[in-house]
Amino acid sequence: MSPHSLKFVDTKNKFSASITSALADKNSKSLINTFSQIIGNEAEKKTTLDQALRGVLGDQIVEKKAGCDDYLSLIYLSIDAVTEGISSATTPFVLLGDVLDCLPLDQCDKIFSFVEENVSTWKSNSFYTAGKNYLLRMCNDLLRRLSKSQNTVFCGRIQLFLARLFPLSEKSGLNLQSQFNLDNITVFNKNEQESTLGQKHTEEKEDCMEVEEGEMGEDDAPLPCSIPIDYNLYRKFWTLQDYFRNPVQCYEKFSWMTFLKYSDETLAVFKSYKLDDMQASKRKLEEMRTSGGEHVYFAKFLTSEKLMDLQLSDSNFRRHILLQYLILFQYLKGQVKFKSSTCVLNDDQTTWIEETTKLVYQLLRETPPDGDKFATMVEHILNTEENWNSWKNEGCPSFVKERTVDDKPKRPTRKRQAPEDFLGKGPDRKIFMGNDELTRLWNLNPDNMEACKSDSREFMPSLDEFFTEAIEQADPANMVEEEYKVVRNPNYGWRALRLLSRRSPHFFQPTNQKFKSLADYLDSMVSKLAKELPKDIPSEEIKTGEEDDDDNGDNLLKDSNDSPSIQSKLVTNQQMDDIAAKLGAQWKMLASHLEMKAVELREIETDSEDVDMQAKLLLVAWQDREGTQATVENLTTALNAAGFSQIADSLNEA
Amino acid sequence: MRRGGKTEVLNNKQCIYMELLHMSVFSQSFSPCGRFLAAGNNYGEIALFSLSAALSPEATGLNQKPVLTFTAHEGPVFSLLSTDCHLLSAGNGEVSAWSWAELTKKNAKPLWTKRPNYKSSLEIPEINSMAVNPSDNSLVIGGGDNNVHILDLEHGAFKLVLQGHSDYIHCVSVREREAEILSGGEDGAVRIWDSRTGQSVHCIEVYKYKTCARPQYGKWISCVTTDSDWMLCGGGPSLSLWHLRSLSPTSIFPLTGCQRQATFYQDMILAVGEGSFVSHCLLGGEVKAQIPCMPQSLNTLQLNTNSTEHRVLTAGGSSSHIDVFTNLSYRAFSLSF
Repeated sequence: MSPHSLKFVDTKNKFSASITSALADKNSKSLINTFSQIIGNEAEKKTTLDQALRGVLGDQIVEKKAGCDDYLSLIYLSIDAVTEGISSATTPFVLLGDVLDCLPLDQCDKIFSFVEENVSTWKSNSFYTAGKNYLLRMCNDLLRRLSKSQNTVFCGRIQLFLARLFPLSEKSGLNLQSQFNLDNITVFNKNEQESTLGQKHTEEKEDCMEVEEGEMGEDDAPLPCSIPIDYNLYRKFWTLQDYFRNPVQCYEKFSWMTFLKYSDETLAVFKSYKLDDMQASKRKLEEMRTSGGEHVYFAKFLTSEKLMDLQLSDSNFRRHILLQYLILFQYLKGQVKFKSSTCVLNDDQTTWIEETTKLVYQLLRETPPDGDKFATMVEHILNTEENWNSWKNEGCPSFVKERTVDDKPKRPTRKRQAPEDFLGKGPDRKIFMGNDELTRLWNLNPDNMEACKSDSREFMPSLDEFFTEAIEQADPANMVEEEYKVVRNPNYGWRALRLLSRRSPHFFQPTNQKFKSLADYLDSMVSKLAKELPKDIPSEEIKTGEEDDDDNGDNLLKDSNDSPSIQSKLVTNQQMDDIAAKLGAQWKMLASHLEMKAVELREIETDSEDVDMQAKLLLVAWQDREGTQATVENLTTALNAAGFSQIADSLNEA
Repeated sequence: MRRGGKTEVLNNKQCIYMELLHMSVFSQSFSPCGRFLAAGNNYGEIALFSLSAALSPEATGLNQKPVLTFTAHEGPVFSLLSTDCHLLSAGNGEVSAWSWAELTKKNAKPLWTKRPNYKSSLEIPEINSMAVNPSDNSLVIGGGDNNVHILDLEHGAFKLVLQGHSDYIHCVSVREREAEILSGGEDGAVRIWDSRTGQSVHCIEVYKYKTCARPQYGKWISCVTTDSDWMLCGGGPSLSLWHLRSLSPTSIFPLTGCQRQATFYQDMILAVGEGSFVSHCLLGGEVKAQIPCMPQSLNTLQLNTNSTEHRVLTAGGSSSHIDVFTNLSYRAFSLSF
């Protein structure tokens, strides 16, 4: 309902002009501009544009000056228009339909190539629903126009296109009612006629010899003018085709009897006339080499009586017929929803069908080349046909599996906290979950964060728990052999590292020490931990600064000052500083009493110039080595032994 | 079994049925024009079948019946032979000649009947086989008196008697190029005679060759046929292909049963005998195919080389049916007496 009513003819003319200019420019901008400039109802404008496009196309076709490319460019323009939203989605299809209706078949080929190439466009959301029916109708019209035997390729292309366009369950593509092509009538000479082949036939035969046995029958060149023909077999054989065409006939008694008789005769002939493997395959190989092995396709059987002998000796032909039997039997035996209730086989018929099926398979297997393989393949394909049949019987259910709606199990740890404004605000702070069990579970602890923090959720072991075993093993008194130590277990080691990273500051101490293996590293850590434990995890003082300067040369990991010296009489840093200061240059004397090795002493000397520092280093080294044994008592003893009784006393006082 | 005796007990129809049941076809011959087939049975009758009618598209069951049946001899018609215008039939010790032209007009009157000179007058030996020697227009007759008689067809007189076999002769064949006659007999020997001098040139005792011999069947030779350089013979011993220059067996065909007639066809060998099938064999000795037939065992096999459009293979045996093959690989239909 626009205030200005759209003047149809004017608008259409404007559009037409704009379309022509857009075609000339090869882009749709001018068309879009024109569209937006015109005032009016969107819907009305769209329909007007559609009409304009059709009109332009019509003019082009009538003028006959335009070629396929021009039509195609107009259709491209219309596609753009739809994408831009200025034209209705059915327009390109309508235009296509118009074009195909008006053009001769060879040009339709080109247009159809365009259609094929743009399958993705047609399948896109904006086009699909609007256009699929149009496309279907268009393709069916084309198919009707084309001859199946002359334009086989084109027909095939159309069918393939339809197959790609529509989803598998598209009902229009299915032979839902399992109908038969009743028009496929096989014509043969029921009466003796002047053979149309006659002389010509003999020449043809000499030109293009099909594969056959040379010694059988009357095939030697030069061909005689006529050969004896078994009309009896000929007629019976081709009458069978009528039963294949319309299997429903088989359910009638009289037709069935005829079918039975003729089939028995024909199959007896097949059985008696065994195809020679050697000759057949040799010739085929030769033919393949010479003619490139092109497979000849016959849309319909050639039923001249003179070809009967040749056909009987051809393995491909035989396979065709035997396969027809198998397909027929499958239909007769199968459950097809659309068969009427009168179409039921009685016992005799069933028995005969089974026997004959066995015979047919046996004949297939005997037919060279690769009879066995062919027979198994055929059996397999017919079995899969059963599946398709049952699919059709069920009304063609979709193949897309619907995703089942299942609720994911709720994991409390990852659950977001419920919004506070509607849960848990009741007087008893109980949150109702709708289900008693759930309510009970939820209200064990409504506050999830608190629940997470509860001690029962603490899964990480403490250092002493985890390392107890390792510490025990590290104790030389226990005499545990290296290879049995638990620190050698890589699993244990990995967990130990993780635990250390979470719980122990030792982990983060930088070190120049190189460890050959995780086990060695763990050994040292264990020894450090052993010193600390069984005390509870204390508050660590991580002394970082000083330690960076020190680099001791001994094998043990350089220890920072984190060895707590609280309750046990371990020597404190402060004490060590004092002693070092007092020792000064005389630290070497203490060294021997501390049972320091010469190597270590040399290292200390090289490490630092300052004697106080050296003394300190000595004490630190001693402490490292001793671990938990680095007690005041021991140090005092050593000091006294070294003759530093004053220092010892001061130590004891402190 | 003769018609007559028991007719008052059995009615006519049953009688005929019984006859048919016991009928055997012993011999066949195609007319010179190729459109007719003459077949002789064990009752001494010859039936004439029209091939053109039987092979036509509108053929009915009636066309598979003979157009003419007549009694030719008192005994079984063991051998039939066609010359350019005559049909020669041999029965109990005598040879009769019929005119094909007359026969097609359904006039069954023999032109002449002759009897070879048998030494013994007590027993009349049957004539098992005949062959025509076109080079001197003579008829070679193999008889039950162990001799081969040669009848000059022009003059109508017996000119030679070839003696040598010690038992009756089953089959004869003519080797045109060398003007030789081959005969095979119950005594197991295949003799090669010079047709001009009448002397036995060679004598092949087939049963003495280990490769062919089948002592369980006997030593008799029931079929001999020649292709100038090659010879097929079989019977008690296996069917074998012989090279006549070297007189040695080249291929042995592993067919069960005794073969009663064999012939060369293109590069194959067709043989019939015991067993209800026609055997197709390759020259190398392998059996390519065995095409099933109606009669339980077959006595005679003929190829109609006189006409291309009626070029069929017919086989008859221990049945009143004669199988016709348009395509060698399967039986098309049967003619019946």
